[in-house]
Amino acid sequence: MVVADWFGEMAERYRLVRDFNKAAKNSFIAGIAPTLLEAKITKGDSAYRHAFSKWMSAGFRIKALSGRPLEKSELIEIGRVVLDNEELTRKLISLGWDTLEVHSNEGYNGAKWALKDYANIGGFLN
Amino acid sequence: MTQILLQIKSDSLAMATTSSSNGLLSSTWFWLSIVEFIFIIFLLIKLKKKKTELAFSDLPKDKMKTAKSSNIDMDNLMNSINGSRDLYKELSKACHPDKFVNTEKQKIAEDIFQDISKDKRNFEKLLVLKERAKNELNINF
Repeated sequence: MVVADWFGEMAERYRLVRDFNKAAKNSFIAGIAPTLLEAKITKGDSAYRHAFSKWMSAGFRIKALSGRPLEKSELIEIGRVVLDNEELTRKLISLGWDTLEVHSNEGYNGAKWALKDYANIGGFLN
Repeated sequence: MTQILLQIKSDSLAMATTSSSNGLLSSTWFWLSIVEFIFIIFLLIKLKKKKTELAFSDLPKDKMKTAKSSNIDMDNLMNSINGSRDLYKELSKACHPDKFVNTEKQKIAEDIFQDISKDKRNFEKLLVLKERAKNELNINF
């Protein structure tokens, strides 16, 4: 990979996380969302690796920061919304993420998915 | 004079011993570096082989590039996270084909209901379908 490509990819990764956090903050301030969500990059699960996985930064974690605590079904629903968004799932995979994690703001409640299992949508694998 | 000569001889002997031990040392380091190099090559080959066995290893690069450069509507994503569930429930209840059995709108209702089920977690698309239901099925929400 060319060095410029590598830097471009890293910038795109951080831009995606920043855009998510900005939209989540606006949504919380406007009163649309009862809980403030925050996305961050984590280690990910090595069992979910694919050919484009980034080393030690392959996890995309969505964490509830404040507001009303989220129930398990709500955590799963957030994950399903992200996974149902074909474009976003493909973008996450191509930018080196392999694990999607959704965590509650209290305790160790959370759910995680292997992004590769949801990539055969929209002709990504054709 | 003899003493000086003896001193020089003993110095040169000491030098020779040191240089020979230095040669041995450098030779050890040389072989060690060779072994390390072979080990690194082995690891690289193993890594490459593993990568080709992983998912998406045969995916063409142009598909990856288009996926990377796509723009994501984050506002729609947030609305989908927070509002799509309720909107889906409302729409699926109002547009259920069973409500239009044996009427001319049954086919339209079936189409709309299929689309609602397909895009149940996409707020923007559900709003479009709501408008369609209003216009084509005359439903008042």
